[in-house]
Amino acid sequence: MTWLRDHRTSLVIGGALVVAIAVAVLLGGGARTSADLDPANPDPDGAQALARVLADQGVEVEVVRDAAALERLDGLAGSTVVVTSAGDLGRSTARRLVATAQGARIVVVDPAPGTLRALGIRVSSTRSRPAEDLAADCADPLTRDLHLDVDRATTYALDGCFSDETGSMLVQRAGLLLFGAGGAWANGQVLRGDNAALALRLLGQRERLVWYVPSLADLVADDGVSLSTLLPRWLAPGLFLAVLASGALVLWRARRLGPLASEPLPVVVRAIETTRSRGRLYRRAGDRAHAASALRTAARRRAAERLRLGVGSEPDVVVREVARHLDRPVAEIQPLLDPATPAPVTDHDLIHLANALAELDREVRRP
Amino acid sequence: MALTGRLPLLLLLGIVPVVLRPSMGTVWLWLLTVALVGALDWWRAPRPATLSLARRPVPTTRLGQPAESALTVVNDGARRIDALLRDAWQPSAGATGNRHRVRLAAGERAVLRTTLLPRRRGDLQAVGVTVRARGPLGLVCRQWTAPVPGAVRSLPPFDSRKHLPSRLARLRDLDGRSAVRVRGQGTEFDSLREYVRGDDVRSIDWRASARNRTVVVRTWQPERDRRVVLVLDTSRTSAGRVGSGDGVPRLDSAMDAALLLAALAARAGDRVDFVAGDRRVRARLRSHTLDVSARLQEQMADLEPVIAEADWPGLVAAITGLGRQRALVVLLTPLEPAAVEDGLLPVLAALTAHHRVVLASVRDPDLESLATARGDLDEVYDAAAAEQALARRRRTAQLLVALGVDVLDADAESLPPVLADHYLALKARGLL
Repeated sequence: MTWLRDHRTSLVIGGALVVAIAVAVLLGGGARTSADLDPANPDPDGAQALARVLADQGVEVEVVRDAAALERLDGLAGSTVVVTSAGDLGRSTARRLVATAQGARIVVVDPAPGTLRALGIRVSSTRSRPAEDLAADCADPLTRDLHLDVDRATTYALDGCFSDETGSMLVQRAGLLLFGAGGAWANGQVLRGDNAALALRLLGQRERLVWYVPSLADLVADDGVSLSTLLPRWLAPGLFLAVLASGALVLWRARRLGPLASEPLPVVVRAIETTRSRGRLYRRAGDRAHAASALRTAARRRAAERLRLGVGSEPDVVVREVARHLDRPVAEIQPLLDPATPAPVTDHDLIHLANALAELDREVRRP
Repeated sequence: MALTGRLPLLLLLGIVPVVLRPSMGTVWLWLLTVALVGALDWWRAPRPATLSLARRPVPTTRLGQPAESALTVVNDGARRIDALLRDAWQPSAGATGNRHRVRLAAGERAVLRTTLLPRRRGDLQAVGVTVRARGPLGLVCRQWTAPVPGAVRSLPPFDSRKHLPSRLARLRDLDGRSAVRVRGQGTEFDSLREYVRGDDVRSIDWRASARNRTVVVRTWQPERDRRVVLVLDTSRTSAGRVGSGDGVPRLDSAMDAALLLAALAARAGDRVDFVAGDRRVRARLRSHTLDVSARLQEQMADLEPVIAEADWPGLVAAITGLGRQRALVVLLTPLEPAAVEDGLLPVLAALTAHHRVVLASVRDPDLESLATARGDLDEVYDAAAAEQALARRRRTAQLLVALGVDVLDADAESLPPVLADHYLALKARGLL
């Protein structure tokens, strides 16, 4: 019981969550579908409203969801056939549709390039974002005075109604009526502009309306369909969800446990720094005379110290004593140690002098 | 507010409804649900401020030695709290394992221990305590940072301690306790004792021997109750680092030398005064014979070199202010020609008139190696610069010697024993 009391809040929240999900699933269930422009889809993307209104207006609406059922229908010749989810039409189903609905008025809604190929129509199409209240602007008496208001549409590069610079949204070709602004008939947009009127005029001309929603199950092996129809429908929302989850992951990992701890930094200076920069200064100035004189003085001092000549002995005394100590002629030692010798002319000479002095130093030290 | 790993997982779980009902609407609905549940969890999470936090004083430690900070946490709230707690210190305090998971029922208390391993000298501060309390579902946390002041004092390492026993042994040799002891200047009469073989015959007290049946010798001990004044220069020249790797500031090496000398002088019965300063006097310690090392370390703990020239007149005034009695004044300052000639030389006469002055400088071994390397042109120019620097140093040292100052210039490692030996030599000769 203690456990129950301790976790009361968790239990209440968890229980509420379960109930909420259950209610959502139960309410959302039933015979509905989630396909765009489906006559049984009440979502903003569905077309249940249009189907209901057409039925109320006395049009006999018949929904067909596979090719075999379409072929079983009689007297299609005098009716209107509207095809939504046209992306699911393959080459074989398109051929069966055209063959079955001979003589009928066929309206294909939002055919994608793949669908157009399947229907045997060679025309380029463009996705566009049309202007609001686009006028029909064509000779067709059915649509002449109507305005279309839709978010997104597809235009076909043919003469027809509702045109912009890339083409028209409503075109007649090979006995088919291609309508690129299917969004206008969705539940969410059908009330805007003259969208509803256009739908009623296009679909309500005949007594009977066959609403054909092609099914992927009817396709045969060599049917080419677009890639998007093969991918599972949950893939895009699933990826979006994954992006959201990785965003939450970033928020989780990026949050620091408290502010950064700062350190008052100590001064870090090498004691040798000033000497090195003085060396660089000599180098930049190319002051070989100064460098040579410093090296000579140091070598003289060390030699004088080693030979016990006393501090401050004259340079020539040192030269003489070094020569005697090493048993070498004075003329050999003089150019190395004597401050009166001219400074080295090239960098190479300077290096040579420095090394000769170091060598001399080693020799003098040797017992 | 902070999230836990469960929230992205819960979001990802939304893949189930998305597969059942594939549309963007489902994703948004799921996101809304998760957001609502998260908000609820946050709302129900216990307030971290209901924890009361108190820190016990951290014991003083030595640089490189571990210390422990104890934080007492009491849950004053009415609810159980499950939190992650971080006891933050400045990085050089070396706080490891400073994240603690606390599960406390109402009224319960816990003591959280964080181990500190200071990497710097001085007072190292605690930054604050951050509490992250989880909600009942463990999706979202409340986070809160409270300032809980605290500091650990890390003393100079006193690495030169290892030289102390040998120097103390030599001090005992000077003292009358050892048999071999010659009388001389700077010693005072200690006692009479029986002659043993090996004693200097010159120390036989004939008058006392005449009254006894055995030969009696006098023993002597070095003079006691002298004064030693340690002057630590904390100016810019002390900031320079010497030695391998990143190096050690000259100031730290000088401290090491000062500590060894102070410990030795205290054992020898001398009084040790201490002044540290640059532009102004940073630390001052007056004549203590008892436990002078500990007090000195305490004083030195938070001394840092400053980028300023030393004000030698002010420091000399501080030395004089410590007492008029003759003393051994040890100036722990680098032998930098410019700084010494401009700052120290003009006031040196005032010191040498009354006191015996020793200048102990930390030498940079890099300077010698720079002077001997002559491979390419850069190195030759560097060698010339180094030779010149060495010559100037030598000249400054000669100048100081001429003014009656003893100059000790040694590497960081050898300066403490060299200074201690010099002190013992002065003591043996009675020159204090």
